[in-house]
Amino acid sequence: MIKPSPHQLTKLLRAWSDGKPEALDELAPLVYEELHRLASHYMRGERAGHTLQTTELVNEAYLRLIDWKNVQWQNRAHFFGVAAQMMRRILVDFARSRHYAKRGGEARNVSLAEAAGVTVERDEDFIALDDALERLTAIDARQGRIVELRFFGGLSVEETAEVLKISSRTVMRNWSVAQAWLYRELGERTNDDA
Amino acid sequence: MTPERWQQINELYHHALELDADQQAIFLNQACAGDAELRDDVESLIASHNHAGSFLVEPALKVAARVLGEARATLLVGRKLSHYRIESLIGVGGMGEVYLAEDTRLDRKVAVKILNTQFSQHESNLDRFIQEAKAASALNHPNILVIHEIGVSDEAHYIVSEFIEGKTLREMISESPLQLPEVLDISVQVANALCTAHEAHLIHRDIKPENIMIRPDGYLKILDFGLAKIIEQNPQSLPGLEGDTAKPNQTAKGVIMGTVNYMSPEQAKGEPVDQRTDIFSLGVMMHEMLAGRTPFAGATISETFANLINAEPQPLSSFTVDQPVEVQRIIFKLLRKNPDERFHTMKEVLTDLKHMREAVKSGEPSVRSGSPGDQARVLEAARAKGDTNKQSSDSQLAFSGSIPRHKALTVIGLLTLLVGAIGLGSYFLPAKTTASSIVEKTSIAVLPLRPINTSNRDQLYELGIADALILRLSSMQGLSVRSLSATRKYADIEQDPIAAGREQEVDYVLASNYQLAGGKIRITSQLFNVANGQIEETYKGEKGTADIFAMQDAIAGEVENNLSARFATTSSGREARRGTTNEEAYRLYLQGMYLIGKRSPADAQEAVAVLEQAVRLDPNYARAWAGKANAHLADFSGNPHTQYQRSMEAVNKALALDDNLAEAHSVLCSNKMSYEWDFDTARRECERAVALDANSSLAHLYYSRYLNGQGRSDAAIAEVKSAIDLEPTSLASQRQYGMCLYYARRYPEAVTQFKRVVAMDKGFGAPYNWLISTLEMQGNYSEAFEWLMKMKALYKEPEEEIQAYRTAYQTSGWPGLLRERARRRDAMSFRAARGSLYFQGAIEQAKVGNKDQAFKYLEQSYRAREYWMMFLKVEPGLDSLRPDPRFDELVRRVGLG
Repeated sequence: MIKPSPHQLTKLLRAWSDGKPEALDELAPLVYEELHRLASHYMRGERAGHTLQTTELVNEAYLRLIDWKNVQWQNRAHFFGVAAQMMRRILVDFARSRHYAKRGGEARNVSLAEAAGVTVERDEDFIALDDALERLTAIDARQGRIVELRFFGGLSVEETAEVLKISSRTVMRNWSVAQAWLYRELGERTNDDA
Repeated sequence: MTPERWQQINELYHHALELDADQQAIFLNQACAGDAELRDDVESLIASHNHAGSFLVEPALKVAARVLGEARATLLVGRKLSHYRIESLIGVGGMGEVYLAEDTRLDRKVAVKILNTQFSQHESNLDRFIQEAKAASALNHPNILVIHEIGVSDEAHYIVSEFIEGKTLREMISESPLQLPEVLDISVQVANALCTAHEAHLIHRDIKPENIMIRPDGYLKILDFGLAKIIEQNPQSLPGLEGDTAKPNQTAKGVIMGTVNYMSPEQAKGEPVDQRTDIFSLGVMMHEMLAGRTPFAGATISETFANLINAEPQPLSSFTVDQPVEVQRIIFKLLRKNPDERFHTMKEVLTDLKHMREAVKSGEPSVRSGSPGDQARVLEAARAKGDTNKQSSDSQLAFSGSIPRHKALTVIGLLTLLVGAIGLGSYFLPAKTTASSIVEKTSIAVLPLRPINTSNRDQLYELGIADALILRLSSMQGLSVRSLSATRKYADIEQDPIAAGREQEVDYVLASNYQLAGGKIRITSQLFNVANGQIEETYKGEKGTADIFAMQDAIAGEVENNLSARFATTSSGREARRGTTNEEAYRLYLQGMYLIGKRSPADAQEAVAVLEQAVRLDPNYARAWAGKANAHLADFSGNPHTQYQRSMEAVNKALALDDNLAEAHSVLCSNKMSYEWDFDTARRECERAVALDANSSLAHLYYSRYLNGQGRSDAAIAEVKSAIDLEPTSLASQRQYGMCLYYARRYPEAVTQFKRVVAMDKGFGAPYNWLISTLEMQGNYSEAFEWLMKMKALYKEPEEEIQAYRTAYQTSGWPGLLRERARRRDAMSFRAARGSLYFQGAIEQAKVGNKDQAFKYLEQSYRAREYWMMFLKVEPGLDSLRPDPRFDELVRRVGLG
């Protein structure tokens, strides 16, 4: 694959944030590839001494890909918005592949019921969360997006508000109910499995 | 579920959350009348909300990375590795995980250490791992762990050893204080094992409580010769000579391998080590067993590091009162910085320890304690004589009961201790400088409160009351009060007011402790005179804790009344304010200010988040807004444009709320000079900040930066010295002092200063780069090259890059290295957001004579509004460009003309 220049990418990003959705189709795979590469580096521990910060990672991808001097902050926020989606795909894919690998092997599967309380600590939980988030998005797209931006994109409340062009208060309110709903969904699943 | 239904649930949920539990039930009964399902749904959501806590708050990537690390461990349990069945994870060390396993052939328990994959990828690590096993196996000593097998399976490399049931010395120390006989028993066993190891030319290199395993019967085993290094058997390699002769086994020079707390100074500095590094580490461990803390411990690794290199160990007597003089002497001699002054061999140590152990057992008079009184008397006598090489009759008297064989040694050792102590005293006497306007004032440091009952402690009391006291005392005329950011690091159970006072170079220290009981807080505050160690005032008070702020203010007021009589001073009338009535916001503010003080971009980002929350809770909290504005500046990893915007938004809010906040004016000054290049406003703001709060280290620091950029070196130096006087341990100020000297072209002094900063903290703000640039300006290329290599190794830069630099330097000298650097810089311009890259690029190009390229970089630096442009006029690295008219033009455009 020929790597497009930062200039081209910047144009795509601008086109997309100017309301041309088709630009995203071109942009997303490029962002995905870069994030995937960076994330694997981090997760293999190859970047010793680096604290693991999603925003830092996305920022690095951004700086590598985009001619940032010529875009506005709003574009950057949009980039973070795309990146959150990509991070979700990357992390859930990681979890899926590991989950299957484990099942294939002779490893003892720890049942979810053994876990005290509800967390997102296991590959299974990542996959279950992804499914639950899908269901949440179906009934409330904005809440799904808020969770995606915060949990997968690592954005703060303020940044999330900026990406979605809503107030921080609205983000907090929606976050609160989405968090409670997801907590309940994952908790119920735990009980079902037990 | 339909979106409409969900909407309805959402509304009920939010409404209900605003009510108390009783009202909630009533409300939901009414609102969901007849729809039990709706009611259940909302109720269960509220219940989930109450339990959800921090669910999903930690970003996914962080969780995933952690899970990945743990996954290996869970995967292995229950599996077989050769004929060992892995049962459970028992520990994680530097090089790998340790599991309890069953040896299915011999039917016994064993410990299996599995090497981390990222370690085994590297050959040098693998070799070290195998070497550890072989070396330790060869020793066959009852106090050294027995190795059964070294193996490789398709999974990993592993080491199988005997399994010791017991506790690590770390666990023992943390459970309860150890008594002297116990300490001696442990030390004798450790010294015994190390004697054998040293005789086999094997150095442990990582002696620490985690590596000592103690069985219930008191027998101990030393683990983990992971860093051991065989000294080639060589008649020259006697103790006292450098042992670094065995090339193949040499640990890469400059790579720090142990735990800083237990390292010898030579090891920490990456210098060659021999057996005497273990002698030092044993000293640290003995000190910790008796005193409860290591002798050089600082709040951060870098501080510990600096203490280890520069500071004398805290005498044991400042922690525990009744240790025998002989024990103090032994530890003192184990802990000498210069290896030549330590015991020469472990055998000598062992002999002395054994004697001591016998003496303690038989209750000989020599082991009576050397109380502080004794020491003070001896100290006084030695001082009076003015000649510490001769024994005074007093000192002989004080230690007349020594064991005969060691009598001479004891006294000499103690006198060494005294010389050290006297040297220390004069070194730490408050340094009075003339440049500053604050020296005539009495200086005082208020320490965070110390909990008497550690199981019931609260930051809001420990820091909050200290903060209230600092605010209150700052308003008193004639008093110079250290800020909370300077004294916060003494928030510890172990707190030595006098040592803290010396470090902060103050006349007085106010140290307090507190106890919480039955809704009340009981506080004792003591005012220490640092020069003579006397307690000059004691305040005791008890207050209700129902209203925390009122309680804090009442205590601060009472303490102030006590002190104002002593210092014959009055309040200036302009009282500093806490600025919020919201407890949680205040707590977050304290946390945020702490994070800013840590000065790494990641901490700064966290500080931003924490302070954002604080201002969300109390939007009228001016101090928190100003803190947030400063936190944005501290995160130098981000995009300068957004950092500037966000910092300005916050600073404007802060100033709108309180125009008298010095910190806000300082931050505004910084934004004006470094981003807007509006130097007139910057000057006014910095001057305003200093005028508002002459005790603010930050205000002096930022003003110094401004003066520096304007080429007013002398004034800049005077300001930064004020900043250092107020906060001697601030790395930012220490570095700024070096920069002042650099821009003033006083290179030899700058080199000395940057070396000091490097010794204080290796990770902070690239002091290495400054040191290297300064050496380069001096034309001292060989040393510059040495430091460059040290820096790259420390930052773990890619081997390929390090090699390329080395080759460039070796084949075509410093100019070759500069060209290599310029070439690499050209290839990585995308990282421009780091804030200094274009400007640095211009300097490099100027140095290799590419004028046009240098101007191109300067132009880019200009467009990116890089921070360093404010030093355009004074940067010595750009001197070759100055005759060019394009340079004057640029200086004019930046507003420096």
